[in-house]
Amino acid sequence: MVGGGIAGLSAGWRLAKHGFRDFIIVEMEQRAGGNSRWGENEVSAYPWAAHYLPVPNRESALVRELCSELGLLEDGVWSERHLCHSPQERLFLHGRWQEGLEPEVGVPREQKQQFRRFEERIGEFAGSRQFTIPMDIGARASALDQVSMDEWLRREGFDSPYLNWYVNYGCRDDYGALARDTSAWAGIHYFASRQHDERGPLTWPEGNGWLANKLLERLERNVRASAMVTGVRREGRRLRVVTPETEFLAEAVIWAAPSYLLRYVIEDAPDTSGLIYSPWIVANLTLDRLPREINSERAWDNVLFDSAALGYVVATHQSLRSRIVRSVWTWYMALAEGVPAANRNLLLEKDWSYWKEFLLRDLERAHPDIRQCVSRIDIMRFGHAMARPVPRWIFSETRRRLCRWGTDIVLANSDLSGFSIFEEAQYRGVKAADRVLRRLGSA
Amino acid sequence: MPALLLLSVFLIAACGLIYELLAGTLASYLLGDSVLQFSTVIGSYLFAMGIGSYLSKFIGKGLVTRFVTVELLVGLIGGFSSTILFLAFAYTHGFRLLLYLVVLAIGTLVGLEIPLMMRILKGRFEFRELVAQVLTFDYLGALGASLLFPLWLVPQLGLVKGAVFFGLLNAGVALWTTFLFRDRIGGLVGLRVMCLLVMAALGVGMTYADQILDLADGNLYADEVIFARNTRYQRIVITKWKDDIRLFLNAHLQFSSRDEHRYHEALVHPGLAAVPGARRLLVLGGGDGLAVREMLKYSLVESITLVDLDAEMTHLFSTHALLKTLNQGSLSAPKVKVVNQDAFPWLETNNDVFDFVVIDFPDPTNFSLGKLYTTAFYRLMARHLSEGGLAVAQATSPLFARQSYWCVAETMKLAGLRVYPYHAYVPSFGEWGFILAGKREYEPPHSLPGGLKFLQAAMLPQLFQWPADMAPVPVEANRLNDQVLVRYYEREWREVAR
Repeated sequence: MVGGGIAGLSAGWRLAKHGFRDFIIVEMEQRAGGNSRWGENEVSAYPWAAHYLPVPNRESALVRELCSELGLLEDGVWSERHLCHSPQERLFLHGRWQEGLEPEVGVPREQKQQFRRFEERIGEFAGSRQFTIPMDIGARASALDQVSMDEWLRREGFDSPYLNWYVNYGCRDDYGALARDTSAWAGIHYFASRQHDERGPLTWPEGNGWLANKLLERLERNVRASAMVTGVRREGRRLRVVTPETEFLAEAVIWAAPSYLLRYVIEDAPDTSGLIYSPWIVANLTLDRLPREINSERAWDNVLFDSAALGYVVATHQSLRSRIVRSVWTWYMALAEGVPAANRNLLLEKDWSYWKEFLLRDLERAHPDIRQCVSRIDIMRFGHAMARPVPRWIFSETRRRLCRWGTDIVLANSDLSGFSIFEEAQYRGVKAADRVLRRLGSA
Repeated sequence: MPALLLLSVFLIAACGLIYELLAGTLASYLLGDSVLQFSTVIGSYLFAMGIGSYLSKFIGKGLVTRFVTVELLVGLIGGFSSTILFLAFAYTHGFRLLLYLVVLAIGTLVGLEIPLMMRILKGRFEFRELVAQVLTFDYLGALGASLLFPLWLVPQLGLVKGAVFFGLLNAGVALWTTFLFRDRIGGLVGLRVMCLLVMAALGVGMTYADQILDLADGNLYADEVIFARNTRYQRIVITKWKDDIRLFLNAHLQFSSRDEHRYHEALVHPGLAAVPGARRLLVLGGGDGLAVREMLKYSLVESITLVDLDAEMTHLFSTHALLKTLNQGSLSAPKVKVVNQDAFPWLETNNDVFDFVVIDFPDPTNFSLGKLYTTAFYRLMARHLSEGGLAVAQATSPLFARQSYWCVAETMKLAGLRVYPYHAYVPSFGEWGFILAGKREYEPPHSLPGGLKFLQAAMLPQLFQWPADMAPVPVEANRLNDQVLVRYYEREWREVAR
């Protein structure tokens, strides 16, 4: 397996479950985990990217299987400890915090009705059973994919600025894209696929690093970190996988790294044109004391209305302690505005102090004393953080071909689904493992 | 130079108005009836300014020196006006008298400022120009102050620090004047030293403003405050009036020594007396040692572990003479072990099993405290409960917060425990609720330890009877990921407190 993110680790999980142990997961970074990577300091563990898992629906069989294995789901009951504690979310709107992310305070009645109508429409889509997780099991070619989410909102008469902010927030959060750069099918999928019967999501101090770590514990002996694959060459019936220190001879390769990278290592790489990735910036702020709160209690997910960023999550939120003195906050921003390539240049250009100032100004709106509380800021730049489901991609011929491509090399990254979420990465990893097992079995 | 002088006029005018507004606001805060307070404060202040203006004609020579002295006095009295008034309210009966004395003093001094300033500037402007310029800046200063006061001073600095800040401005003007007119005054060094001394005094006032306010909040409590301290976790205040000692945590009453025996006997004995062989006991919360005092009445008990987050709280109740009398030195008893840790994580890391557990936490006023009332918490607690053991939780008032009370019962039930809800009347609190829980059948005990002041074995069955207005209501259980209890509680007590 090339790539030790959730796709690669899930492929390993699947292989091991079938008693197949003769595999290596090669990871470029010093630590595996991919978008579920995490860090830790003397205050708390904290996430570097993905930080929650929505409570899986019944159709998400693989995720539920993993959850049962990890003790998160027992006799149909979700473990309260790992479900996000109250209060889950709050929104800084008109100079004060309100509960929940759906704007309530100061929203005119007509616009509130649009929210209700939007919910009804989403409910209808959810009822169609086409918006599933994993998307593969429900997705049917749809005209919705031909237009952007923004266009769809306009056509449906949803012109409320509050609702538009809300939908844009969802698109930025899961796809790193604005509604106008997101396929309406994917935009609706974000809302319609999450009709949960339990109050979630599942979360941990280190975010999805908790899940990645559990998988890693099971695959410890199979993972080689700090090894970047620079080439994959055919040698008879085998494949030679080249890394700077070691070369591996393999009967099959699962390419769990982003699909667009394949063309840099093999000659007959598939066409990935049309695959677009969103750049991100993530910061972890270590706080020696917590900013003052007036008439509000800090939630797990704290969002600022009309901010270019996505807000912050609190790593110590799941602590059982009743008094928290120090904490780590993870601040996120998808560089959604503008062209991804230009934004990647911006990431390369700007240094730590630029982003430090940027994020403190953002947070200062809601926490005037934030500068006095922060003792350390760690920042990570992600050039290709997640696949972006632009219009006409999900049901394109190119994507369909990518999913079926290869015999001894198969693809597994979540970008095959069009968007990068834990469940899709796991599904693609498991599917790839099954294809490889079939091939090895028949050989 | 004229511009700088006019800036001084602007500043002293602003300071003058600020003190007037401060006095009016403070009087309204503390005495109520803001119309009366503001009218009388403004009236006497303006009147005093008239006195000052009149008195200015008696000042002949050394105009600049007098002006500097007046500024320093305004800075000193004005700067400390809030402090003096807060303390006067908390510790004396002469608040009103002092209020008007301070207002008159500042007013008179401020009344001197402008006439003196005009005479100092006399030679530099034509009379027509002088009156126009000085009064323009005087009124501009007033406008500035009136905007600054509500928008910045009160919200950002507060009344005590705000006054000191403007006192520093006055002293600054004084010091600055000694430089502007260094050729017109004698004894320059002495004057400047005075300026620096006043500024130093105000600086100290700025640093200790918070402690001064702490001292002054004695007036929050009806009785004499005998102890007050901010610990890392909470504000502890103990008051005493005759033989009534009261404990407040974050201004919430925790007990009154007049009737705490009712609360603590009701909390401990219906459960503990029903576990005849109980040897190992646990108290979660309850750092006042009063529940432990009741538990020590059972001679078979071998050990009592008390887990309370706040070390200063347990220290206070094991060392303070008056409080030790109250809990009969329970926290220092050889059988008692005090652990200063957060209860939830402590239960998580500890493996001990107990025959009787008292859960005596503050009410679930916020989500942090609400965690201690969740199914996850009670499930964990149940793992520390022996098979025949019982646990009891204080669960707020079933009369005032009926849904909250029954929500706690429902939560314990969902955590797999059998629950036996009961209530007792505690005058300081009103009708109060408790919930007994265990893994087995419970029967009220037929005998209780001797020496109880409130409970008698014969009345126990009544405690488990529910009058119609407190009877069970349908509620949801409180869970970590859906803390309904905090919402019930907030809504219900808001209605009561109205």
